[in-house]
Amino acid sequence: MKTLDPITVQVIGASLVTVAEEMGAVLRRASYSTNIKERSDCSTALFDEHGKLVAQAENMPIHMGSMTGLIDSLVASELTVRPGDVFITNDPYHGGGTHLPDITMVKPVFADGELIGYSANIAHHSDIGGRVPGSNAGDSNSLFQEGLRIPLVKFATMDGVEQAPLAFIGLNSRLPQERRGDMLAQLASVEIGERQLREVHRRHGRETVGAATAYLLDHSRKRLAAALREVPDGTYRFHDLMDPSDGPATAIAVAITVDGEHVSLDFAGTGPQSPVGINVVRPALEATVYYALKAVLDPGIPPNGGFFDAVRIDAPHGSIVNPVEPAPVTARTDTCQRVADVVLGALAAAVPERVPAASHSTVTYVTFSGECDGDFFVYPEVVAGGGGARTTKDGLDAVQVHITNSSNLPIEALEQEYPLLVDTYELIPDSGGAGTHRGGLGVRRDVRILGDSAEFSAHADRQATRPWGLNGGHDGSLGRFIVNPGRDDEHRLPGGRVSGVQLRQGDVLRVESPGSGGFGDPASRSPERVREDLRNGRITEQAARDLYGFRSAD
Amino acid sequence: MLRIGIDVGGTFTDVTALDAATGRFYIHKLPSTTDDQSVAVAEGVRAVLRQADADPGEVGYLGHGTTVATNTVLESNGALTALVTTTGLRDILEIGRQQRPDLYDMDADKAPSLVPRSLVHAVVERMSAEGKVLTPLDEDDIAAAVDRVREAEPEAVAVCFLHSYRNGDHEREVADRLRAALPEVYVCASAEVAPVFREFERFSTTVVNAYVGPKINRYMSRLAERIRATGVPVEPRVIGSSGGMMSLDSVSRYPVTTLLSGPSAGVVAASHVAGQAGFSNLITFDMGGTSTDVCLVRDGRALVSSQRRINHRPVRTPSLDIHTVGAGGGSIARVDSGGALEVGPSSAGSQPGPAAYGRGGVEPTVTDANVLRGRLNPEYVLGGALAVDYAAAGRAVDSVARAMGADRSVAARGIGRIAAVNMAGAVRKVSVEAGEDPRGYVLVAFGGAGPLHAVEVAHEVGMSTVLVPPNPGTLCALGLLVTDIRTEFAKAVLEEADERDPDKLNEVLHEVYESARGWLASEAPPGADTKITGEAKMRYARQNFELSVALPQRVIDAARFDSGAVAEIVAAFHDLHAKSYGFAHRDARVQIVEVQLTAAAAVDKPELPAIAEGSESGEALIGRRRVDFDASGPVDTPVYDRTGLRAGTVLPGPAIVEQLDTTTVITPDATARVDRYGNLIIEVEQR
Repeated sequence: MKTLDPITVQVIGASLVTVAEEMGAVLRRASYSTNIKERSDCSTALFDEHGKLVAQAENMPIHMGSMTGLIDSLVASELTVRPGDVFITNDPYHGGGTHLPDITMVKPVFADGELIGYSANIAHHSDIGGRVPGSNAGDSNSLFQEGLRIPLVKFATMDGVEQAPLAFIGLNSRLPQERRGDMLAQLASVEIGERQLREVHRRHGRETVGAATAYLLDHSRKRLAAALREVPDGTYRFHDLMDPSDGPATAIAVAITVDGEHVSLDFAGTGPQSPVGINVVRPALEATVYYALKAVLDPGIPPNGGFFDAVRIDAPHGSIVNPVEPAPVTARTDTCQRVADVVLGALAAAVPERVPAASHSTVTYVTFSGECDGDFFVYPEVVAGGGGARTTKDGLDAVQVHITNSSNLPIEALEQEYPLLVDTYELIPDSGGAGTHRGGLGVRRDVRILGDSAEFSAHADRQATRPWGLNGGHDGSLGRFIVNPGRDDEHRLPGGRVSGVQLRQGDVLRVESPGSGGFGDPASRSPERVREDLRNGRITEQAARDLYGFRSAD
Repeated sequence: MLRIGIDVGGTFTDVTALDAATGRFYIHKLPSTTDDQSVAVAEGVRAVLRQADADPGEVGYLGHGTTVATNTVLESNGALTALVTTTGLRDILEIGRQQRPDLYDMDADKAPSLVPRSLVHAVVERMSAEGKVLTPLDEDDIAAAVDRVREAEPEAVAVCFLHSYRNGDHEREVADRLRAALPEVYVCASAEVAPVFREFERFSTTVVNAYVGPKINRYMSRLAERIRATGVPVEPRVIGSSGGMMSLDSVSRYPVTTLLSGPSAGVVAASHVAGQAGFSNLITFDMGGTSTDVCLVRDGRALVSSQRRINHRPVRTPSLDIHTVGAGGGSIARVDSGGALEVGPSSAGSQPGPAAYGRGGVEPTVTDANVLRGRLNPEYVLGGALAVDYAAAGRAVDSVARAMGADRSVAARGIGRIAAVNMAGAVRKVSVEAGEDPRGYVLVAFGGAGPLHAVEVAHEVGMSTVLVPPNPGTLCALGLLVTDIRTEFAKAVLEEADERDPDKLNEVLHEVYESARGWLASEAPPGADTKITGEAKMRYARQNFELSVALPQRVIDAARFDSGAVAEIVAAFHDLHAKSYGFAHRDARVQIVEVQLTAAAAVDKPELPAIAEGSESGEALIGRRRVDFDASGPVDTPVYDRTGLRAGTVLPGPAIVEQLDTTTVITPDATARVDRYGNLIIEVEQR
C-alpha cells in the first residue's frame, strides 16, 4: 500500500466540496419554484458509503446535516436498492428533512457494481398540498393538515422516472407543473453529483478517496476541538420564550456544558410540544445547534459528519424540540430561531466578546393567495428584520439571521405576477434596541390587494417577546401585522400565527418585522453616531433625546 | 498607420503599438500614475512613438483600458450621490435582497449603500407593472425634491422609480428637471442606464453609474486633452466591460459599463491569439499578484453576463462573465486550526510582496513556494531587474512547514497544489455553470503568473491543452488593438411569447433597434463593417430565471417579428432548456423577459507576426536547474529562453521557459510545441 500524501488527500476532500457546489448550481438553475431559484432554499450533499455526510453546500443553515437521517432511513427500510435508483421523501419524522414542503432526494452511487456513496439534495417546494396554499400555515394542529406526507419511495430507476409518485405528488399540489419541474431539477442535480463522485473515484481510486473522506471528517472534528479549547470549561444556561399561541408561552431552555474538547447541550426545561406547527423535529434541532456553535466558535468549520458527531444533544421527549408524531411542524423555523437565540445567549456568558445581542430571530413568513384571471396564485414572502448589535458595532438592518438566509422577491417581479401592490417597503426608525452599539432595524412592508379578494396566512414570532439586548443594551421592537393602517377600520392581527385572514380589494396588510437588541449602555454611544443616526432617520428625535440623552445643540 | 493600445493596471501601464504597414509590434511598460492615470498614458504614447520612430500624426487608432471606475468603487471615493425615488420605497438599496453577507460570520458587514440615507428623497409617483400611471407626478412635490437635492450639494443624482423599465416618463421628467436646475451635477435615470426589471439590481446599477460618473467624466476630459497634446490626431476609445470599444462620449454617459474595462481586454486578446492559432473554445486564465480572472469563450465569443457584482453591489449592465478568485502569486499560505493548509485569499500584494522579492514580506506566498521548487528562477526575475532572496523564501515557507509537521519541500509543493486547486475551482465554475464540460476547452494562460500554474490547473480540471501566448504579461494592451467597436442595448419586455400578438414585443424591439442603429451611426468609423445581432432572454412563465435565445437575423434586420418568428424562438427556447437542464415543458407558457441587441462595427484586426522556424531548441537552452514537480522529488530540468524559441520546436517536459514578463512551467507529463506565431501549445497527458 502506498502512503497517502496529506496534500493529495486534502485536495480530493476539496474536490468533493466542489461537487456539492456544482450540484447546487444545477439545482438552482433548473428549478421552477421561486423558493429554490431566487431564494436558494435548497441544499446539496455527498455522503460516503456508510452514510456519513462528507460535503455539503448549504444555502440555509437549517439544512445543515438535515439530510443525514434520510440515509439511515433508506438503509433501515426494506426497499431494494439497485444501481440507477433514486429515492424521495418529505416525512420529517423519518429522515425527510424538517417540514413537508422540503422534499429530499437521494441517489445511491455505484461504481463497478459497488456502493461508493450517496448524492442527495433538499429543496423547498412552493406547495405540497394541505389545508392552506403554500403548505406553510403556522396554525395547523396536525402534520396531516400540513400537506402530503411522502414516505421514502422510489422516484426513478435506471429506466427513468417512475410516473406514480410524480402523479401522486402533482395531484396533491396546487401547482402540479411546478412540482414536476422542481423534482426533475432535483433529479438533474443528484445525477451530476453521481457522475462527479464516480469521476473522483475513477481518478484517485477508492482507497485514496476513502482516506480523503476520513481526512475531511477529522479536519472538522479538529477545528471544533481547537475552538472549544478556547472556551472556559463550565455549564452555561439560558432561556427565552416563544410567543404564546392559545395557552401560556412556551419556554426554550438550554444548558451547554463545555469540557475540554467536548460540548453537550441539554434542552431540559424546554416546554411541551405545541398544538400548532412550531415543533422542531430532531434534524431541525441539530441543524440549529450546529449553526449556532459554528457561528460563535469557528465560522470556518466545514459542515460534515466529523463536526456533527462531536456534538451531543439531549432534548426531552414530547417537548417542542423533540415532538411526537404527528405533531405539526411546518413553522419550525421560528422555534429554531429561538433555539439559536438561547444557544447564543448561553455562550454569551462563556465568550462574551463574541456574542451579539438577540436578532429579530423569526422568519416572518407570509403568504397571500387568491385567484387571478382564473388561475390560482400563491405568493409566499419572507420579511427580514434587525440583526443583533455586535460587541463592537451596530447590528445589520433588514437581514435574515441564523438558520435562514432567503432573499425577498423583487417588488417588480411580484407585481408582474400577482394582483398585489407594494405601497411601502422601508426600514422602521427606532426599531433597533438602543445601545452603545445599536440593534439593526426591522422592516415595514405594506401590501395592497388589487384583485377582488385575497387570503393572508403567516407564521412569525417575536410579536410578544422582544429581542433582548446585552450588557445594558435595550431590547429591540416587536413585529406585528396590521390591516388597513391609518384607516378607520385599522386593526392589529392577534399574533404572528394566523391563517385565512380575508382581505378585500383595496385592503392593505402591513407587515412589520422586529428590530434587534442593542449592546452596551446607550449613554456610552458616541454623540457622533447618534447624530448620524438622527440625520439618516434611523432614530427619531424623541429617541435621541430620551434614550441617548442627545440634545440637538450637541 | 500606427495603432496603439494602452492598458492601465494597478502597477504598470502597458503600451503596445502596431505598425500596420510593416506588421511590427512595439511594446513599452512604465509605472502607472495612480493619481491621474492619463499622465502615464500620454507618456507611454510618446515613448512608444519614439521607439517606433513615428510621428504622432501617423497614429490612426488608440484603444484604452482603464481601472478608474473599478478603483473608485473599490476604494469608496466616488461622488457624493443623492437618490430620488418612488415614495414608500426609499430603502430599496438599504434592504437589497435582505440577505446577510456571510451565513456564519456574525461580524461580517453589508456593503454600505453608496447613497447615505439622508440623501434619499422620495417623490410622489407610481407606475403599475404594465407601465400605466397609477399616481401622477406632482408639480410642487418635484420642486420640493429638487430643492432638497440642491441643499445637500451632491455631485451626482440617480433617479430610480419603480417599473421605469416599462414606462420611463416619470424618471425622465424628474431627471430633466434636475439637469435644468443643477447643471453642474451628474444626473442619470435608471431607464437610461439599465431599463431592465428587478428594482434593487436596476437601482444599484444606476447608483453605481452616478457614483463613478463625475470622476470618470473628469478623467475622460483630461485623457482627451493629454492625448491631443501629444499630437495624436484621433480621440481614444475605451474598452467596456463586455469587451467592446466605446467613444469617450458613451463612457461619460454610461461609466458603469467600464467596470471591467481592463480584464475584458485580456479576454478579447486571448480569444484573438488563440483564434489565430486555430482554437475557438477557450477558458482564459489571467493570474496576477493577488487574484486570478477566468472566463469561458465559446465558439470564439466570450460569455456575457448581466449578473455581476462589484464589491457586493449588483451591476446589471452586460459584461464579460469573468470570474475572479483570490489566488495569485502573492497569496499567503497558512495552516488552519484543523491542520489544513490554506492559500489565499489574503495576499501580500506587491507591497510588501512575497518574501523572495526582498521588499519586507515575511509571510509565505505562492511565489515563495515557486522559488523554492525551482519553478521560478532562484536568483532573479524580470530579466534580472529583480533579485530573488532564496533564503527569505525558505524562512517564510518553513513557518508553514513547521505548522504542518512536514519538511520545507512538502510545504512548498502543498502551497502550489492548493493554489492550483483553488484556481481549478474557478475554471470548473465558469464552465459548469454555463453547462459546459471544461475538458473540451483550451486553457489560455497569461498575466505574470498564469503560465507558471496553467499546466497543473489543466491537470486538475482534466483539460488536455494549454496555450501560452508570446507576450503573456502585456496581452491586455494587445487586446486593445483587436477589439471591435461594440455595445449592448437591453430593454425589458415581460410579455408572454405569443405568435398571434407580437405588438408589444415589436414595440420594444423597434425601440432597442433604433438605439443600436443610432449608436452605430455616431460611433462607427465611416465605411466600417457594422452589424446588429441580438437575443431574447426567455423563461417559462413564473420561472424566475432566464435563458438567452439568439434572435433570427432577419427579425433584427427588419426590427420586427414576422409571422412565425415568435414560434421559432419559442421552439429554440424549449430546445435550449432541454439541452441546458435535461428537460423542457413544451406545452408551458413562455415569457420574453428582455430583448438585448448588440451593435458592432468591426475594426481591422492585425495578423499577428509569424516567427522564424527551426526545430532545434539548443540555442534557446540557457541552463539547467533542479525543479520540484511532484512527490518524487526535484529533477534536472532544462531552462529555455522564450525569445530563442523557433516555430516548430518541441519541448518535452520537464522544461522551464523563461521570458521577461513570465515563466512557463512544463511538467514531466506535458509536451510543448512552438506554433508559427510563437505560442506555446502544451499538451497535457491525462491521468
